[in-house]
Amino acid sequence: MTVCRNKEAVKHMSDFIVNIIHRPEMVPEYAEKVTGHGKEEDLGREGLLTESLDIFKIQQECAHKNGLKTTIQMTYASLFNEEAVALAKEHHEKYGDEIGLTLLGLPCEQFREKYKTKDFCIWMFSMEDKKAIVNDVFEKFHECFGFYPESTGSYYLDAALINYIKEKYPSVKCAVATCWEEGPKAYHTCNNSWYTLMDGGPWAPWIPSKQNTHAPAANREEDSGIVAIPHLSRDLLACYDGNGSNFGTHPQNVLRGMIYNSKTWEYPYLYNLIDQYRYLEKFNNGYAYNMMFVGPGWMNKMGRWEAPYELLLKSYEDGCAYYGQLKKEGKLLDMTMSEFADYYRAKKHYEEPECALWRDILYGSDKQLFWYCDPYMRACVNMDEGGAIVDLRPYVSKLDDPMGIGTKHVQDVSYPFLIQEKYRAGYFTHYAGEGTVRSAKICYQGEEADLCLCRTKAHFREENGVRSLTLDPAEIEFRNLKCTVQTVISFKEGDSSIRIDRKLLSCTDPDAEITVDEYMVGCYGTTEYPEDMTSLTLSLDEESLAYEYKCRELHKENADRAECVLPPVKTRVILECEASRKEGYVKEGYAFSPMFTLGYKAVLKAGEGVTTWLRLEKAD
Amino acid sequence: MAQAGKGRLNFRCPQCFMRDIDMDMFYDKDKKEYYCIRCQYHGDEKDVLEKNEQIRLKYRAMYHRFKDFEDFSDDLS
Repeated sequence: MTVCRNKEAVKHMSDFIVNIIHRPEMVPEYAEKVTGHGKEEDLGREGLLTESLDIFKIQQECAHKNGLKTTIQMTYASLFNEEAVALAKEHHEKYGDEIGLTLLGLPCEQFREKYKTKDFCIWMFSMEDKKAIVNDVFEKFHECFGFYPESTGSYYLDAALINYIKEKYPSVKCAVATCWEEGPKAYHTCNNSWYTLMDGGPWAPWIPSKQNTHAPAANREEDSGIVAIPHLSRDLLACYDGNGSNFGTHPQNVLRGMIYNSKTWEYPYLYNLIDQYRYLEKFNNGYAYNMMFVGPGWMNKMGRWEAPYELLLKSYEDGCAYYGQLKKEGKLLDMTMSEFADYYRAKKHYEEPECALWRDILYGSDKQLFWYCDPYMRACVNMDEGGAIVDLRPYVSKLDDPMGIGTKHVQDVSYPFLIQEKYRAGYFTHYAGEGTVRSAKICYQGEEADLCLCRTKAHFREENGVRSLTLDPAEIEFRNLKCTVQTVISFKEGDSSIRIDRKLLSCTDPDAEITVDEYMVGCYGTTEYPEDMTSLTLSLDEESLAYEYKCRELHKENADRAECVLPPVKTRVILECEASRKEGYVKEGYAFSPMFTLGYKAVLKAGEGVTTWLRLEKAD
Repeated sequence: MAQAGKGRLNFRCPQCFMRDIDMDMFYDKDKKEYYCIRCQYHGDEKDVLEKNEQIRLKYRAMYHRFKDFEDFSDDLS
């Protein structure tokens, strides 16, 4: 293996890595639905099987002719096909491709006959069935190849399943384990018929904890033993806002989004997306990652939606050609999944975060987001809203809910949020109530301006284990006063908190007293719909409120901490403040505004500042 | 009329697409038009293709090739 350099060398290099994965899916998702329209379902149809293998061969050829190695993830169905098995062996020998095993592509006659179900998403099965299927598929793989695979995956793998696979088949060290922000938005896009509800995970490779796949391991004890990679590398702005399946390193997804010139068949967006991922090495100690994984159904001879086969093929050839060109220029390392797992373990340590300062590359809006992910949280900072935190997932609680049939999480495996501006309003609400967001209001003589309305840009810095964003100062205009406010947002490695420093840089009246109201409006959930809030408890130092939708408030001068305990997500969220003059408060919501608010009001003069810490803790 | 089927290509409903829903349309041979079973859109191939171009209007930077991801001086309007 060429990539397993010594740990010190790896740490200081600047690498952009791609995993290209192909699966010989004998009954591709979509294909039977599309090509078989008007016919009774027949998974063994000769034409379907032949075409599927042909597509796999074309995909392999696209990669190989551009000098790229692949990971061949055998499907259950393909293990019954001698030609598919022979091809995998040949390409392993000839091109160095890895032969892995995917838990996608289960549907085939043999599977249906054995398991008497049309289910095909491995995380949705009962634990008993998961184990039986894993045993079956892995042993069948061994029968075909004489060894067990080092990589596996699906759109999602729940923690119990990963733990079982690792225990039973310790050779596995890498797995495709989630698809970023594929949740309610994808469900809606598919007319509420695509049940992959898996929001809230990392967008880039990580080591899943034993408790919850989405929450990265904080240490060796929590380490599930595998390196997880996301299913595709997704646009961190477009996918957050819209349908994830249109904006990823999947050329046909770009066509699905109609992000191409219909006359010239050009799609600069695909290259911009790859290039912006390359740029992320700047924030991650010289490392960036891409994953391309196109199921054969997307290169169907019948075309896919309005895109004819020729365009589908061209886009895949162009995608591989671009990665190939980058490799030739020395700007890309192509690895198999297991090679990447070795690389990743040498490169990263448990508490090292993944960071992404991401700009809009599609809508021309100049919007900029910052994504942060570590074993304790995932957070999104929106510079178009003055550096407000618009998405927050408390990984610190390491929720260990079982998943699949027979549990409370048959389909919904999303990691819950405390803040999610798309599902729970954010700054703007209709008529009444509040939406979830962490921001600040600047107040003076009865007027107030929320920083959410100050569009700005951020500058990233890393120093002594602290990643910080310094925002261009916001200008606030009151009737009789103007001031500028600077925001610095910091994430200290291993600290499970977000520090926000606000400084009143200048003021047209140097003696004016400005109130900075630092607040977080939160709730919990995984979808757009409200949850029962009655188990929550709000506290301000020693005083507390059990949530009863009664719109009550607590206020206290110089309070040490405002907090909320959320038993359904086993999380305690705490706001602390450092300022010379401060008042803490908590607010209960009401039925039309099922939220809670934690806040501090600090009084400042020009040149003074206020610091707050939003801390997340596990609450059992 | 006989039952509807799929057309030459498998067009999605442009009106539904504009609200982030992928809905396959069906083809009415008698009226020579595509129609959506979720909303009220119907139109011939020419109309579908014209609406698909309108969909692209939201992607104001789709033909721009970005060189710097922290330089916001380019005019993307």
